[in-house]
Amino acid sequence: MGSGAGSDWRTVRGGTGDRTSLDSGWRPLSGGALLERLRVTGRPRPPVTPSLVADLQSLLGSGIGDLHSEVDGGRLVITKDRLTRALSCPVHRTADRLGERNFSVPLACGALVDVLFRQVVTTGAVGEPMAEALDGLALDGHQASLVTWISEMAPADLAELTSEVDRQTVRLVERWPALEASWLPRTQESIRVALAGTLVELSARVDLAIGRPAEDEASVAIVEVKSGSRRPAHRDELRFYALVEALRSQAPPFAVAAYYTRTGELDVEPVTHDLLVEAARRCLAGIRALAGVADNSVTDGTWCAACAALPRATTVARPPGVDDTTVVAYPHGQAA
Amino acid sequence: MTARVQAATAGLLVPPVHDLGDGAVTRVRARLKSGIIDAIGGPPPGAPLEVGVPLLRRARYRPELLGLADEPFAWKPAFVRRSLGLEVVRACASGRFRGPLAAVGPVADHAVESWRRTGWRTFHWEPWLAGLGAGARSVVLAEAVAWVTPVWSTFDWTALRDVVDLGGPDDRWACPGVSVHLKGRVEARVRRHGARPSLLSVASGCPGNGWRDELAFLALIGALAVPDRPVASRVVGLWPESGFRLAVEVDEAALSGAVDRVVDAVAMCADVRTAGPVPVLA
Repeated sequence: MGSGAGSDWRTVRGGTGDRTSLDSGWRPLSGGALLERLRVTGRPRPPVTPSLVADLQSLLGSGIGDLHSEVDGGRLVITKDRLTRALSCPVHRTADRLGERNFSVPLACGALVDVLFRQVVTTGAVGEPMAEALDGLALDGHQASLVTWISEMAPADLAELTSEVDRQTVRLVERWPALEASWLPRTQESIRVALAGTLVELSARVDLAIGRPAEDEASVAIVEVKSGSRRPAHRDELRFYALVEALRSQAPPFAVAAYYTRTGELDVEPVTHDLLVEAARRCLAGIRALAGVADNSVTDGTWCAACAALPRATTVARPPGVDDTTVVAYPHGQAA
Repeated sequence: MTARVQAATAGLLVPPVHDLGDGAVTRVRARLKSGIIDAIGGPPPGAPLEVGVPLLRRARYRPELLGLADEPFAWKPAFVRRSLGLEVVRACASGRFRGPLAAVGPVADHAVESWRRTGWRTFHWEPWLAGLGAGARSVVLAEAVAWVTPVWSTFDWTALRDVVDLGGPDDRWACPGVSVHLKGRVEARVRRHGARPSLLSVASGCPGNGWRDELAFLALIGALAVPDRPVASRVVGLWPESGFRLAVEVDEAALSGAVDRVVDAVAMCADVRTAGPVPVLA
């Protein structure tokens, strides 16, 4: 879960949060149509082939064999946020320490909507969004400092946050469909994959996973909930989830999706062999960067999501070997 | 039912691979007792030492945490998800619900209602859950669903329904002569007519290189705690977060491996209590 918020988050307050629907006639999906969009990606679901997972493990393993065991105290934990920061170009890079966060209204909104999404999936109802979200957030010891930060917000900021959380929750409850229990929906599913013994651990916590364990073909879909605006980095995060799930379950998910609670957009990406290979390459570059052995593809911004979002032609080189796949990194390619 | 589920379920039902020789448990118990007494080197300072799988793992993988004081107990979702989740498995296996998400609310409500009606706390968390608001309650339910869903989907619980005991009290054994207690718990015990049972353990994270001893420890503590009960023939471990399902066949060598692991952990704890926490490597 993440706020996914950019600087335009506050435009919601002025009542322009649904500009897309007003301008283009586009309406957000809801209920069964939303589920259908998630279920039917337009591509065949990938088959479960042991060789694919072996290839991914081999690719990752090939680049971490020379890492030293003293990296991060002998256990380098890779999360989606950490990966994104590590792969930012020097211009866009921010200091990285695992678990370090700078609190902001968008971040708080993301955390609260995260709790409420979980509540909607689990119980199907929300009474008083802000109060119940804080109630739920307070149960998570890791969020104690955020809860304190929210409680100390200036009244005007708190009112703005409350208003936005209320608005997004109303839309969420209206649009998000009830999930059939036999599809085994589960929220905040933790996924971990150890590489190179226990030297590196890929770690993900997905907002929603749906589907029974795969047998012959992929059967799981992963949904990440975003309370802010769409950003190119979100695609990278989803692909990281697809990679980690493929390595964990020995079977890829058939789709990864971002659901934007502010607008109701559902951005679905079918999972393919090439997507997983590209995710593995990106992950490997990030692991090496975090281990202090970054190569040029990191320093020149090849993997930098912020650079990729710039409205000018990219000036960085494509990563070596990418041409042997059909994957074109978003946003150069088309969103689903 | 898929082939994967069939195979996992069969793994709980297969006959024992090894015989446990006569007197094996007696020998192992004697070795454990003498090993602990040697390791502790006298009465341990402080509170009695409680040795369970979490301590074995900490001693092996995170020894720097051994000297840290435990947090004071306070209810949180992680303490509810196992017992609530196992009750959800029971309810789903009975055919009343189509999956954990549908079962978790009614099962939790039933537990709270029963406590209110009788005053008896089957799960201990009933008063705490009853006092939570809707937001916090939904987090507890969601945590239980997330915990139990891979457990539910890995095995054919409907087929196991008549031969499985879910949850149950912890197994405990006090080492004579010293203040060292062993404690273990399993998520399921699968009975088989005329044969030794199988155990199922669910753990978080990734299995470390000592997973065999950790699973065998559960058979060991079961054998020590209830001497009349048949010793488990196999312990299946499930690590849903990392997708591992591993099993250890229980013979005297496996039990001895667990004994060594316990003795090592006790020795490390005794050192820490005497000398302070293990220095953290930079």
